[in-house]
Amino acid sequence: MKEIAITGANAITYPHLEIWNWAISIYLFLGGMVAGLMVLGAISQFRPSSTTDAGRPFVCYLAPVLSPILLSIGMFFIFLDLSRKLNAFWFYLNFNIMSPMSWGAWGVGLIIPLSTLWALASIPEEHRHYLRWPKLHDFSFKISAYRNKLAGVNLALGIFLGIYTGVLLSGYVARPLWNSAVLPLFFLNSGLVSGSAMIILIARNYQEKLYFTKLNIWLTTAEIVLVLLFYYSHLTSTAPHREALIPFFTAVLFAGIIFPIALELPVITARRPAPLRVHLIAVLILLGNLAIRVAFVYVGQLSSLSDIARR
Amino acid sequence: MPRYAMVIDQRRCIGCMACVVACKRENNVPEEHYRTRVVEIVEGTFPKVRMELRPELCNHCKNAPCVYNCPTGASYKKEDGIVLVNKKRCVGCKACIAACPYDARFIDPRNGAAHKCTFCEHRIKEGKEPACVTTCLSRARIFGDLDDPQSIVSKICAEKHLRILIAEAGTKPSVYYLSLQPLT
Repeated sequence: MKEIAITGANAITYPHLEIWNWAISIYLFLGGMVAGLMVLGAISQFRPSSTTDAGRPFVCYLAPVLSPILLSIGMFFIFLDLSRKLNAFWFYLNFNIMSPMSWGAWGVGLIIPLSTLWALASIPEEHRHYLRWPKLHDFSFKISAYRNKLAGVNLALGIFLGIYTGVLLSGYVARPLWNSAVLPLFFLNSGLVSGSAMIILIARNYQEKLYFTKLNIWLTTAEIVLVLLFYYSHLTSTAPHREALIPFFTAVLFAGIIFPIALELPVITARRPAPLRVHLIAVLILLGNLAIRVAFVYVGQLSSLSDIARR
Repeated sequence: MPRYAMVIDQRRCIGCMACVVACKRENNVPEEHYRTRVVEIVEGTFPKVRMELRPELCNHCKNAPCVYNCPTGASYKKEDGIVLVNKKRCVGCKACIAACPYDARFIDPRNGAAHKCTFCEHRIKEGKEPACVTTCLSRARIFGDLDDPQSIVSKICAEKHLRILIAEAGTKPSVYYLSLQPLT
């Protein structure tokens, strides 16, 4: 039997009470989803059918428009979490090459304007009249010639964004649950899953919805493989890594992935599944991914190296 | 340039918590927060029981994860080995708190900046020892310059087998432990 008493215990001794809260979970979820939208939107832009406005799928318009909006909302949540908000400008007066958060701050600072440019370039001719300011209208027309180049840049930035959120957490040796080289890839893949689910919800064309539902199943299959690798790397690592995989986390992780895919699989075999069913599955996938991010943030903080070392 | 370190002789610690109180008083540490703590680990079943008293604080690591994870450069390491926080630069992002394997940092609720042990830097400048060292009635905490061969800390480091906390984190701490049983 072991009894531990700590005199002078901070909230930090129980770090889940102190470090990051739900706001960071939402940022990680939105950041991942935007990464997915950027990557899938850019790939759709490169397809041969996308050379003309008429042939381009809806995702080519809406993914670029949604990306800077959703990322800005995510950034707002990050801002909410800062305990010295007025000092936020220091992120951009310093670059620490060893700090993933510094990379992230500069990266997101670059992604928001470049994805906004991509959004302006992607607006089709018939919808350009929604831009009220004549100068913005003209600018949108001018940069539409660079649509493919901007899609290429945003594809690279989308991959960076998806990976960086995982690198941010995986770099912390002090938190064994996060400390895995598989996490950046898992987060990138999870972002692609969220992005494709979002596209299923917003796509106008029924065939487009089905196409992304099928893509989503493949991405979720890859997610299951990555989860198994994540578990394998933790189970073969040190005792704190093994202990970090608490049953609650496992339940959330599998419920967030297995439950939606179990509902999604019959959609492939159905001749013409009801749109409501396709939408419902997409919503479940998004909720599952949100639950995974929340579980990662909270359970990761519970898995303190010093706390486990005391036991 | 000195290289400051602390040796904690666990054989001498009686768990009086005077160090915890002295630190709070000296550094005006906010309510319900502490820069140092004493962990009591009681193991076994009566009559075969043993107790470990382990004072813990910022380890002022040579390879400090809090410093290289800080996105704004607010956490920095002085040449004498002391890790400090520049409050003017701190944005309260909590990256350093997440990065510290010793859970030695917290957010000061009064100003939102990261807060931690400074080895009582202001006292060292005056030629004094940290408050926890001065107040320790059993002399369980020993502070000094590792580069000075005449300092007690140097002599202990040369003569005794010292241990560090969470060695597997690879942080190369400046706080050493002298104990009878191996530390976990």
